[in-house]
Amino acid sequence: MAGPRRTRRRLVLIAVLVLVSVTLITFDARSGTSHITSGLKSIAHDVFSPLISGVNDMLRPIGDFFAGAVHYGSLQSENQHLQAVIGHLRLEVNQTSALREKVRELTELANVPYLGTLKTVTAPMVNYNLSNFDADITIGKGSSSGIANGEPVVGAGGLVGVVVATSSTTATVQLITDGRSSIGVSFGPKNQTYGVAVGEGPGAGLSVLYVSALAHLHVGEMMYTNGLAGGTLPPDIPVGRVRSMHANVATGFMDVTLSPAADLSQLAYVDVVEAEPPL
Amino acid sequence: MITARELARGLLVLLLVLILQLTVVLEVRIGGAHPNLIVGLAIAAGLVGGTERGALMGFASGLAIDLFLPTPLGLSALVGIAVAAAAGKLVEAGVDRTNPLFLPGVAVLGSAIGVIMFAVLGAVLGQPDTLTIRLGAVVGVVAIANGILSYALVWLCKWAFPEESGGSAWRGTLVAGDRP
Repeated sequence: MAGPRRTRRRLVLIAVLVLVSVTLITFDARSGTSHITSGLKSIAHDVFSPLISGVNDMLRPIGDFFAGAVHYGSLQSENQHLQAVIGHLRLEVNQTSALREKVRELTELANVPYLGTLKTVTAPMVNYNLSNFDADITIGKGSSSGIANGEPVVGAGGLVGVVVATSSTTATVQLITDGRSSIGVSFGPKNQTYGVAVGEGPGAGLSVLYVSALAHLHVGEMMYTNGLAGGTLPPDIPVGRVRSMHANVATGFMDVTLSPAADLSQLAYVDVVEAEPPL
Repeated sequence: MITARELARGLLVLLLVLILQLTVVLEVRIGGAHPNLIVGLAIAAGLVGGTERGALMGFASGLAIDLFLPTPLGLSALVGIAVAAAAGKLVEAGVDRTNPLFLPGVAVLGSAIGVIMFAVLGAVLGQPDTLTIRLGAVVGVVAIANGILSYALVWLCKWAFPEESGGSAWRGTLVAGDRP
């Protein structure tokens, strides 16, 4: 049996460890000291990212081989579907290239930021959803490539998220579906009806707040970043399509849910947009 | 006291499990949730090394994974200490460990408690999306995965803490704190 001295020693050890943990949590939560903990996280990312990339490069082909063998049938049908989508997109690109050029010229004249004119940094996705409770991805480029906190990330058809932490070689992107994500959106004939799209958690969509019950809106309508003053995102980036909507008599607002415009499950590469906050 | 060899081996085991967690394990997703070997390692360390070594491993492994998560630094460490110390205490209390289902059972139960504790503490600290309907799926995936991998994790911990495991068989052996 353990003696009283040993029992006391154990209790002291556990108490010290708990105290250290609580101190670290407090440091992380306080804005004045959070730079210490974020610095530690940044160093850990820099040290481990080559190792993680190496292991991933080594193991992914093996995993892909087995996944391909198991899902051969569905991959074949998915391939056919993608070929059809590519065909449609090629047609659309050809049809709209002239119009797009005109829009670009007009927006430049109007001095409105347009995503096509903004500088972007393309980065590979290294990991996604490291925690079971957060919707985020890690990308393989960081502050040494000019990426900074607050910059929007786009890819796979629309807005993916916002950079929330950087190390010199990696960056953490909070996805638009994360519960802490909040994005100003606009929609309607002239994109002049506004709302705030908030994430509903990993694997879920978004809900839009403050949309008047009288607003003209339909299922399938696209919502875009509104680029209003105070926000850090440039305007007109597709955020999501309306999945469901109904007027809430009690609040006077509409309950709206969105499906992300970007396919967040297919993010091999993303573009980080170096955007200045709108004036 | 922990010897230098135990410390070195413990760090190696921690590094191995951390790399696995950040690479291969993230590719395994069931219902959007992935396993969490870090909680499993803390429980295994508690079962093999007793309360002290378990708490130290739980703290170190939790802190290590916290460096990569957007949640507050120290949150996983706190959970790691709790589940490892509880597992260590269970073994030191002299429960019958000869049943082959004892180890997976403790791993499943401990993992479930660890995930729920993480979610509750996270919610208290203002983290969104922790106490949602999805928690059930996360608890299930983490608990079952750690139950399946419990013997492998215990084997790693026995290698890290060889003197305490009493040799080849984990069942029926003494743990660190009970050795004369």
